[in-house]
Amino acid sequence: MRTRDPISESKRASGKEEEPGSHGIWSGTISFSLVAIPVQLVKAVDTGRVSFRMLHNKDYSPLQRRMLCPEEDTIVPPEEIIRGYQIGPEKYVVVTDEELESVSPERSRTIEIIEFIDIKEVDSVYYDHPYYLVPSKGGERAYHLLVEVMRRTNKAGLAKFVLGEREYLVAVKSVEGALSLVTLHYSEEILPTEDIIPEEVKIEADEKRRIKEGINKMRADFDPEKYADLRRNKILALLKKKSREKVLVEAPEIEEVEGKGPADLIAALEESMRKVKKSR
Amino acid sequence: MSRKIIEIAGKRLSLSNLEKDLYPSYGFTKAHILEYYRRISKFILPHLKDRALTLKRYPEGVEKEFFFEKRCPSHRPAWVPTARILRHGEEPMTVCLVNDLETLIWVANLASLELHVPLARAGSPETPDSMVFDLDPGDGADILDCTRVALILRDLLANMALTSYVKTSGKKGLHVYVPVNHKETTFEDTKGFSKAVAEIMQKSYPELVTSKMAKEYRKEKVFINWSQNDSSKTMICVYSMRAREKPVVSVPMEWKELEKLAEKADPERMQITHSEAISRTEAKGDLFRDVITKEQRLPHL
Amino acid sequence: MASGAIWKGEINFGNISVPVKLHTSIREERVMFHLLHKRDHVRLRQQMICAYDRQPVPADDQAKGFEVEEGKYVIVDPEELEETVPESSRVIEVHEFVSTGQISAVFLERVYNLEPDGRSKEYTALAKTLTEMAVQGVCTWTMRKRSYIGALHANGRLLRLSTLRYADEVVPAKALELERFSLSEKEIRIASDLINHLSGAFQPEKFKNEHQKKLQGLIDRKARGEKVVVLRPKRLKPTAPDKLLQALEASLKQVA
Repeated sequence: MRTRDPISESKRASGKEEEPGSHGIWSGTISFSLVAIPVQLVKAVDTGRVSFRMLHNKDYSPLQRRMLCPEEDTIVPPEEIIRGYQIGPEKYVVVTDEELESVSPERSRTIEIIEFIDIKEVDSVYYDHPYYLVPSKGGERAYHLLVEVMRRTNKAGLAKFVLGEREYLVAVKSVEGALSLVTLHYSEEILPTEDIIPEEVKIEADEKRRIKEGINKMRADFDPEKYADLRRNKILALLKKKSREKVLVEAPEIEEVEGKGPADLIAALEESMRKVKKSR
Repeated sequence: MSRKIIEIAGKRLSLSNLEKDLYPSYGFTKAHILEYYRRISKFILPHLKDRALTLKRYPEGVEKEFFFEKRCPSHRPAWVPTARILRHGEEPMTVCLVNDLETLIWVANLASLELHVPLARAGSPETPDSMVFDLDPGDGADILDCTRVALILRDLLANMALTSYVKTSGKKGLHVYVPVNHKETTFEDTKGFSKAVAEIMQKSYPELVTSKMAKEYRKEKVFINWSQNDSSKTMICVYSMRAREKPVVSVPMEWKELEKLAEKADPERMQITHSEAISRTEAKGDLFRDVITKEQRLPHL
Repeated sequence: MASGAIWKGEINFGNISVPVKLHTSIREERVMFHLLHKRDHVRLRQQMICAYDRQPVPADDQAKGFEVEEGKYVIVDPEELEETVPESSRVIEVHEFVSTGQISAVFLERVYNLEPDGRSKEYTALAKTLTEMAVQGVCTWTMRKRSYIGALHANGRLLRLSTLRYADEVVPAKALELERFSLSEKEIRIASDLINHLSGAFQPEKFKNEHQKKLQGLIDRKARGEKVVVLRPKRLKPTAPDKLLQALEASLKQVA
């Protein structure tokens, strides 16, 4: 799915999905200098209004993503899953969560802002995936101070932190009263562009004027809702077409409750039913 | 396109398309719908409170397509209360909680005529506060057959020392609720119990009742749908409007009232429209009050 | 040499058209792990399981459903949905131009570098004009049977195309429902001073993915059968709200 973020994805891949009841994808501390703020990392990208569900095309039951052991052909529960690095055919080095955290123990629970920069200096090609940080209990005051001061100074904090097998370079900035966290690509991951950029050529003033005029005719304010609605309307149109063809399907009921229920209950119900029938 | 800005409890709300006729064959506009929900708010809000709302929007009216949304729209105002629902193996999602008048009006303004909610609150999604029997007439059966089944069901439950309450579905059926409001009772309990009840009903009244979902069993019978007792299911909220030809409402009934209506044998009398829903509720008070407060334990589990 | 182009298209608006080739802008390399069964170290496979019979479902038997009512679905072929423009179309249609900075970073998904396809004059003229006017073009196109919305922007003489997320996929900050806090001017002043002291230019080359090497080192040690000492992750003690000012003052003293 295109909206899935790398951090949730790496947790899912390690068999550790979000636990019901937990709010964030990660919890820890964000710090600058001697100030430490307890925070949680939450998603800034969700699946949106238009969401699909994977179904079994035989009976239209919903599908669930699970890890399967090909040897025994069984579903493996999260507690029986471990992480391995392949060093040969069928040969793996097993690495535990604790060992992974141990690689950079100072960065697994703390997002330490190393320096502040002007966010405008960060070319958008560095942006990887956006998240938000929200304050945990007791951290609200310091959190809002950081939000407010970064807003006033127009600065963003740069930090590194480790989650699972990856170390993320991140920019933390102030957005509409909240801390936004964007994971950044490392400069070594950014492909060179020298071979793409064309040679400097002289551009006639006329040519530029022509383009400028074209652009000026099309000036507008960015309205993202417009495009989301376009997509939604497209889906609605497709659904309309589909429902004319009568292709609405329904999943079978899952009768998890097997058998007749406790014998006591059945006996009590039968006795009550006798009384009901007698009085009618 | 008309737009009107109102303010409720200091929250600003922009209402749109107020003159749009959403029940075209009856002549009932969005303004009428907002007015209905405003007047019924005192009664409906306790039943919506803290429950994950499923929106069923009819932007082009009841005769056109509807749009079903479990997620709370991301373009919601900041003051709309929400909760995050996490279910194993599924994407987490943010849902709307209709806890106040302003949110109710906002939701109605989205042309979400029907308000569907689960039997449990968002904070404890596996703990239902009532058990429900959704009585649904199959082809050839009608709401009067449902009434007969409901009355037997009431007596059967009373013999098990359980008090029950009934409301119209606003369509062709009836919904019988048994308040539980007990934090140790799970959906597993209510589902098992209701299934056993449905089966004994079918066994005792085979010509009238079926407990089986399949369409072929349901002909000329009332299907007691016990499988609604599930954390993934929702029920139409009491006092919610329905998207039918007329602006019909799901309303609670007194048992003795139901008995009388059954004698008159006129199914139309059980279709309560918006104005009647308001006048009778203002006169009788909330007949469903006990459904969310009365504590009862399911016996023999 | 630049790696091969992934797609060819033509930027179009008014009577202007600029043929371009799309190139990816990022290459990621990282240590890859596999998931194993604890008992026997058999490599696990991710599988879709049917909720009804708990059996794995092969890809051929999977369908995409759009939930139109509780438990009721319309089966949709995703390609049928994304396919709007005829496949032969290679047009990157610009619909409007917005000021640079109006498209918040949260919408940005993936960046492609554009190379002029053939004559580069229009390309260069467009790149220069976009930079000069500080605008970006909002455009749509269909690539490999999927439709995209994106932003066309310039970086010096280079044109780039970023795919954008849909508005309803982006969580607005106000949805976090954070409470407002009143802060003292003194705190704000000291914190601002502190931030200014800690500020510098953005120098991305300074940051290396050191972790990757350390992780490889750990794997090598384990492969040789060496014992690995597990270090506990360091947890910082949160600054107590009433100690905030004190911590700021101490920080400032450290750096000033």
